[in-house]
Amino acid sequence: MTEEYDVEFVEREDREARFLVRGVTPAFANGIRRAMIADVPTMAIDTVRFVENSSVMFDEQLALRLGLVPLTTPPVGEFVEDDTVTLSIDVEGPATAYSGNLVSSDSLVQPADENVPIIDLKDGQRLEAEAEVVLDRGKNHAKHQGGVAVGYRHLQRVEVVGDVPEFEEPDERIVRGVIEDDGELVPTSEFDHDLTNRYPDQEVAIEDVPNAFVFHVETDGSFTVEELVTRAAETIEARATELEEAVQL
Amino acid sequence: MMVPVRCFTCGTVVGEHWEEFDERANEGEEDPKEVLDELGVERYCCRRMLVSHTDLVDVVSPYQ
Repeated sequence: MTEEYDVEFVEREDREARFLVRGVTPAFANGIRRAMIADVPTMAIDTVRFVENSSVMFDEQLALRLGLVPLTTPPVGEFVEDDTVTLSIDVEGPATAYSGNLVSSDSLVQPADENVPIIDLKDGQRLEAEAEVVLDRGKNHAKHQGGVAVGYRHLQRVEVVGDVPEFEEPDERIVRGVIEDDGELVPTSEFDHDLTNRYPDQEVAIEDVPNAFVFHVETDGSFTVEELVTRAAETIEARATELEEAVQL
Repeated sequence: MMVPVRCFTCGTVVGEHWEEFDERANEGEEDPKEVLDELGVERYCCRRMLVSHTDLVDVVSPYQ
């Protein structure tokens, strides 16, 4: 892209963020969104060898549950697709097996959440298993999807155009997302998504700001939001380069 | 049977909140709405995962 573009954070936490991007086309904004969902590789359990399972659930049900546990994904370049890491679990009842009971062979790949219950074990029941972790993309299985609930909205500009006539009952004006008021960014949750709370007795006009998008991004804990967005942009670049090479004479 | 690990719709991990939710809203007297808000389970797709779940492990375990 030749045009300058600009990123500004509205809310920022480790696993959740809201940020404004100016100067991108709707197509590119959607490209980033799709890349975050489907094209950023994350680690997840793929194959499980059960040594003993006397719990009330079948092996394949437990394998699915283990697969869905988010694992921390190591920095780019540490692993390539087809590399594996082994996690093992050994819990004897009466107890609950948690994702935190998974023991990893590599300190870079650990359960991101420790308190996900895998299975409740009663007296005398036991779960012992070894699991292979692989790196793959969200388009192949939802367990590899690092970004959850990724979406964007247009930035909306609000302008006061006049006063509401004195004896008129004002209707509510519901807006969701982030509004721009004199260059200041205000999340609509600050005024309960209703513009009449922020501009009482005033007539306002709302318009979409061209090529400005407010992204809302959450991750499952595999990596931080920054990491997810940067890696998504890298996958777009990698695919663009691949296409460029493929069409050269 | 056991609580789903992730929300079916959006993929957020909800399993980790089940034990606290069960204790406070199902066993306890607290309002499920407030418990979910405090746990940070915001969207209705994730909230229904916890609200509508029933643990069946205790029911089926005698027939093992």
